[in-house]
Amino acid sequence: MNTKLNAIETINERTAEQIVSDEFLIARAKILELAATLDRIERARGDVEDTRHMQLLTHGMQILCDDEVDKAKRVQLLMSREYDPRWKDSMSIAKKES
Amino acid sequence: MDYIDPHLHMVSRTTDDYETLARMGCVAISEPAFWAGFDRGSVESFRDYFRQLTEFEPKRAAQYGISHYTWLCINAKEAENVSLSREVIAMIPEFLEAKNVLGIGEIGLNKNTRNEATIFLEHLDLAVKYNQQILIHTPHLEDKYQGTRMILDMLMGDSRIDRSRVLVDHVEEHTIEHVLENGFWAGMTLYPVSKCTPQRAADMIERFGPERLMANSAGDWGPSKPTAIPDLIMELKKRGHSKELIKKIVYDNPKQFFSQSKPFTHG
Repeated sequence: MNTKLNAIETINERTAEQIVSDEFLIARAKILELAATLDRIERARGDVEDTRHMQLLTHGMQILCDDEVDKAKRVQLLMSREYDPRWKDSMSIAKKES
Repeated sequence: MDYIDPHLHMVSRTTDDYETLARMGCVAISEPAFWAGFDRGSVESFRDYFRQLTEFEPKRAAQYGISHYTWLCINAKEAENVSLSREVIAMIPEFLEAKNVLGIGEIGLNKNTRNEATIFLEHLDLAVKYNQQILIHTPHLEDKYQGTRMILDMLMGDSRIDRSRVLVDHVEEHTIEHVLENGFWAGMTLYPVSKCTPQRAADMIERFGPERLMANSAGDWGPSKPTAIPDLIMELKKRGHSKELIKKIVYDNPKQFFSQSKPFTHG
């Protein structure tokens, strides 16, 4: 089954300019939070550059700045464990007769 | 605006929350069985919990004019204990005739283990045997994508499952398309820090359209907001969306989905 997804054509009523205007302060605040978090890490003792979490955050921030679309989905996938389509075999889960 | 919250754990909320929900327009709730914050030790604990869900909570909700419905299962976290899970699954039919039970749920995966998958499949057998609808929990954070794909594999590998009677909950940007394009219903959970914000939920509605899509608060004993659906309504209004579109997401869709279970009589 492949059910076609129908987003309503007129569903996004706002223009890009309106969205930037409406959400500028919210986005600005989020960037500042992130900047302050990075400053906090920088000021603290220890080196986290090579840790998995820090590498994920760095890669995530690169996604925000690149020219590709689907940024939220790509950040989600970056932060996700890999899916193996053969997982049933590796877990010895019996397949249902269908 | 009247709305239905399709996933709200009221056993962990106060009576004041019922009053606030009623004031905000909530007219019906569906409450899936879930983890209590600790692993229960015996099947009798679950029997008491199911009595709470089928006897006590409907009365508490009714005091505020809210209809209360529920779903029964042993959740994915406790499914690691396979023998206890099987005892609970064997006991669930005692409660399936209760007048507010909509089906089996929230079943699913937590850490995507073999035991969890085994018990998930046994819950599917139970649902099929008793012709019950199914409500599904998908894992959190880094486990969500893998776990959601595994769950869909198990559902789609069983020809007995009617996809129009299955709600897959806690979808996010990377899982929603897999759920909807395969004919299942999808639920977006509005939850601080993990899961989804009202703004991102509104984005997904704009992106994928309102068909077979609903939103819930999943309010529970953790940091959560039981009135998160009014926040989504506000966000959609702010963006200029029609009352019809908003009503479809927060009222018509849950009603249409739940109406496939005989006990659902709301509206």
